[in-house]
Amino acid sequence: MTVTAATFEQRRRRVGLLFVLPALLVLAAVLGYPIVDSIMLALQRVTLTGGAIQQSWVGFDNFQRLFADATFQRAALNTAYFSAMEVVLVVLISLGVAVLLNHPMGRFGVFRILLIVPWAIAPVANAVLWKWILHANYGVLNGILKGLGLIDHYHVWLGTPVSALNFLLLVDVWKSVPFVALLILAGLQRVPSILYRAAYMDGAGPVQSFLHVTLPTIRSVIAIAVVLQTIWSLRVFDIVFVLTRGGPADATALLNFLAYRVTFNFLDLGYGSAIANVIFAITMLLAILYVWLLWPRPAGAKR
Amino acid sequence: MSFARRQHGGPLLRGLVVLGLVVFVVWSAGPVVWLIVSSLLEQQALISQPPDVSPSAFTLDNFVQVIAAAAALGKGILNSLMVALFSTAVSLALGAPAAYALARLPVPRANNIAFLILATQMLPGIAIAIPLFIAISKLGLIDSVFSLGFVYLSFNLPIVVWILRGFFLGIPVGIERAAAVDGAGVFATFWHIVLPISIPPLAAAAVFAFVEAWNEFFFALILTRQSAQTVPLVIAQFAGQYQTVFGQMMAAAVISVAPVIVLAIVFRNQIVRGFADGMTKG
Repeated sequence: MTVTAATFEQRRRRVGLLFVLPALLVLAAVLGYPIVDSIMLALQRVTLTGGAIQQSWVGFDNFQRLFADATFQRAALNTAYFSAMEVVLVVLISLGVAVLLNHPMGRFGVFRILLIVPWAIAPVANAVLWKWILHANYGVLNGILKGLGLIDHYHVWLGTPVSALNFLLLVDVWKSVPFVALLILAGLQRVPSILYRAAYMDGAGPVQSFLHVTLPTIRSVIAIAVVLQTIWSLRVFDIVFVLTRGGPADATALLNFLAYRVTFNFLDLGYGSAIANVIFAITMLLAILYVWLLWPRPAGAKR
Repeated sequence: MSFARRQHGGPLLRGLVVLGLVVFVVWSAGPVVWLIVSSLLEQQALISQPPDVSPSAFTLDNFVQVIAAAAALGKGILNSLMVALFSTAVSLALGAPAAYALARLPVPRANNIAFLILATQMLPGIAIAIPLFIAISKLGLIDSVFSLGFVYLSFNLPIVVWILRGFFLGIPVGIERAAAVDGAGVFATFWHIVLPISIPPLAAAAVFAFVEAWNEFFFALILTRQSAQTVPLVIAQFAGQYQTVFGQMMAAAVISVAPVIVLAIVFRNQIVRGFADGMTKG
């Protein structure tokens, strides 16, 4: 009896490995190998001349260049502002939308459809659409604002540094809110209604029961939303490429776009890899920090 | 006031909810409506101030002209379809067994492996794109839908594993026990018992992977040239070249997003539930 049980377990283990292995091999090829190679490339001078790739080791030169590179520092600042604003705005707006749609008056299927559509729109198509909305001469935004008397002349929204960066932010927030809202909404729907009933019995109003019942229960979902949105906002690329190409005057050059430009326009693959590694390091540090700060503590610890 | 009434809130709260919903609808639907309306308006109607939205200004000309002018669009749709189908099919074929093993079978360090797979999604695309570009160039496989579809496994396979693992973790153990008692092996249990009850999450994972692959721009920009160009590239190029034919630009955008929007609307409940379950379980 014990013999058959052992072989049964062994078989299950063997099949388990057989099931996992192909996926792991593919991931090693498309993720494991590239990330290791990316770190090595960052330590080399890699140039692409006439289609041939030339590599030579230069130690930490590429990373040292970062400190003297004003464009890199500008992009780092842009990215810090863009990502911080985006995470805060997206999570807050999404939380608001999710609460609205979880209200009995918000539970119509059509509202869910309104959320899923912006998620499914390709970022490039989204950028093209906003390029048209924000157009300086014929854009509908100028038309509406002038019609309402909020502006007295048409603005070139993507023409000045501060305005361009903030409009990229708006476009990306618009695109990002729906999915995060759906995620939080799924979390809200799992809050047991008995908890609300109990809070009501204890005399809690809507605001109190939101603060003391809803928020603590969906804490892990909020944590996931913050981590995901941070990762996503650090890799924003498509809208920069279509709307501004990093301009005006590098005001919208985010780190990811800069790494692309250095690598594939200036063909400086080693330096591009160094910037890419900086983005990776920042992403990882932030994710670890958030998980440590926001993840629900195990039972026993105080919330 | 009863609990049920109380959930709706007082008149003030209800007023705020209605106001919030109106703002929400305008904010979400406004740009999409304008996209569709713009694609249906004549150029003259579009650039007059305010835009002329009288019924006579509506036309299908933009669509006719875009389809006639941009042969690249048809090719792009075909390429996108191949890339997305290939990457979705391989993600499911490799991801479903892997997810099942990580959720259910005695794989050593299963939870660590699962977490590592998710953690790979922190890698910025640019970091892996540079080495992949070099490797694929050396292999002479730049500008191929299959190398692009293979690279898309870097994000689709992890997401499929996570969506499905979340579901498999929730299957009652009794079902598999009963199959084992009946003498079914692990393969048979997976194939005949587990997969058939997993159609909804499989569909969710498939739609998710398909939409992500269809919309992807960054890797496509780097890894394709001419013959393997996907739809997002064609749209970006079109928007760069024909900056002033706004209606056609919007028509091209509508054509490119329509298929995945239909998919997303049809499968909206499964997508969100699948994603949320995968993220919050385990």
